[in-house]
Amino acid sequence: MVTPDSEGAPLTIQNGTIRTSIDLRAYRMTAIQKAAYRFAKEFTLVLGANDQNSLPVTFLFAEGTAEGEAFEAVRVFFRELLDQELRERIGEETRAIRSLILAQAFSKTDLIRRE
Amino acid sequence: MGRPAFQDRNHFRPRSDYRILPFRFGRLDGERYVLTNEVGEYALLGRDDLQSFVDRRLDVAGAVYQTLKAKHFLFDDESRVALDLLALKYRTRAEPLSWFTGLHIFVVTLRCTNSCRYCQVSHREEEDARFDMSLENADRALDFTFRSPSPSIKIELQGGEPLLNFPIVRHIVERASRLNQAYGRHLEFVIASNLALLSKDILAFCKEYDVLFSTSLDGPEDLHDEQRILRGGPSYRTTVEAIRRVQEALGPDSVSALMTTTRAGLSRAEEIVDEYVRQGLHSIFLRNMRPYGFAVHNDLVDAYSAPEWVEFYRRALAQVLAVNRRGYPLREEYSAILLRKMLAPSGTRYVDLQSPAGIGIAAVAFNYDGAVYASDEGRMLAEMGDPSFRLGHLSSDSFESIMTSEALLAPLADTMLEGVPMCSDCPFLPYCGADPVFHKATQGDTVGHKAWSEFCEKQTGVLRHLISLLEDDPEARETLLGWV
Repeated sequence: MVTPDSEGAPLTIQNGTIRTSIDLRAYRMTAIQKAAYRFAKEFTLVLGANDQNSLPVTFLFAEGTAEGEAFEAVRVFFRELLDQELRERIGEETRAIRSLILAQAFSKTDLIRRE
Repeated sequence: MGRPAFQDRNHFRPRSDYRILPFRFGRLDGERYVLTNEVGEYALLGRDDLQSFVDRRLDVAGAVYQTLKAKHFLFDDESRVALDLLALKYRTRAEPLSWFTGLHIFVVTLRCTNSCRYCQVSHREEEDARFDMSLENADRALDFTFRSPSPSIKIELQGGEPLLNFPIVRHIVERASRLNQAYGRHLEFVIASNLALLSKDILAFCKEYDVLFSTSLDGPEDLHDEQRILRGGPSYRTTVEAIRRVQEALGPDSVSALMTTTRAGLSRAEEIVDEYVRQGLHSIFLRNMRPYGFAVHNDLVDAYSAPEWVEFYRRALAQVLAVNRRGYPLREEYSAILLRKMLAPSGTRYVDLQSPAGIGIAAVAFNYDGAVYASDEGRMLAEMGDPSFRLGHLSSDSFESIMTSEALLAPLADTMLEGVPMCSDCPFLPYCGADPVFHKATQGDTVGHKAWSEFCEKQTGVLRHLISLLEDDPEARETLLGWV
């Protein structure tokens, strides 16, 4: 299966490398970096310099990786990217309340020595 | 005029404004996501419901909304105590951290009667008394032990084969019991032994002091004897006979056993479980090969992958559940630990599944020579030439200097899951733990990259299976809940 890039063009693999770009209006950089880290065993994702809303990326596969495996890994990467983006959103929305819960949880303990 | 007895109709009108509480999520299987929150409660949702939840499009009168509200994934105007309750639950889960070190491991000798092929502690020849713990070091270790503020102290006596140095075992148990008359802790003793040297005198002593035994039983005779070899020959018959003697002398639950999975055992999950039933045991601990000691030298660690072990675990657990259905109570201990982490208010103090890691602050190991290690595995790693987890020595270092040593504080700080890539987003974080020694042994780094971590693969595989059983198999759920 060939995964289309954000413009809908078919992806191609050359010498174990797939190049495409990611739309930064859809995914924030931290989500892309986290998804890339998670897939470090399958491929190395090289992030290029972004051009306004578009981030060029290169998927580098280990020697001997079959084409089908490579395209499948890219497909699953983009699925993971959706999850990572959602996680970033939830993290952002709930950051203040997480701090509030922790503060509330330990507000009546004497864990912190006061000088 | 008195106050109205009933709320206005508007009070019951569904509300569309709700606040999302912090949570993590990840895939459970092909269709469902598992969500967990800060206090370890979980919920399962499809992708569409997950997206609707985050987009605040959930039907507030629907079952999904009510479930998420009840489990503290969201709150609205009507859930006034939600934050207080969540904070209370969080505090309860975090409280055991302040108890500090509970498990104290005394390696009373490295000598052993066995020469197991997968031995993780790098045992020594039976006659070589240079590898025995001295009286001075035993006393120093006991003084160190009672410096811990923990209300519960477990002293685990191990080796090598600890019964080869029984005079020191006796001394430690007797002196600890005397000391505890002043300290008043909940004190437990366990001897981790192959039981080959069990005698009437030892049993009588253990009865007097409520000492329990932990032993190894790998499965049926041929499987057990393939790896666990007494210097004089096979060990299976000696082991099962000794298990029976302990059960008769000290009670049926006074001896527990664990199995170590070998390549040969991988295809025999059901037989292994049945062997435990045959020996009258009511618990089994399914354990994979650990990357320490002779297991590494003999190339046994890479004999199977984490997914292969998880498949073994699933089959063995299915057999355990089948045994329970037939009316014989049998508990799988690793699952029980995870279930307690998932479902019990204060979790569990199991050393390998803590964040911050359990090294030092949940368990500490005193080697035969007086060296203090952050964990038993840290000691095993040192025997292999990597002393990273050696915290100091009983004769030259104080409790304070050992417990605040950089060798302990650095890995504790570095490996807290909440700050570790991949772990920080993982829905299984509340049920998992940091294992800095494992990652140092396998990746040369205490944090490790979780994409390559067999620990991570094993944990997530087992947890996915347990959650699936809890949700999809009512009969299994009933048994599993009984283990919490």
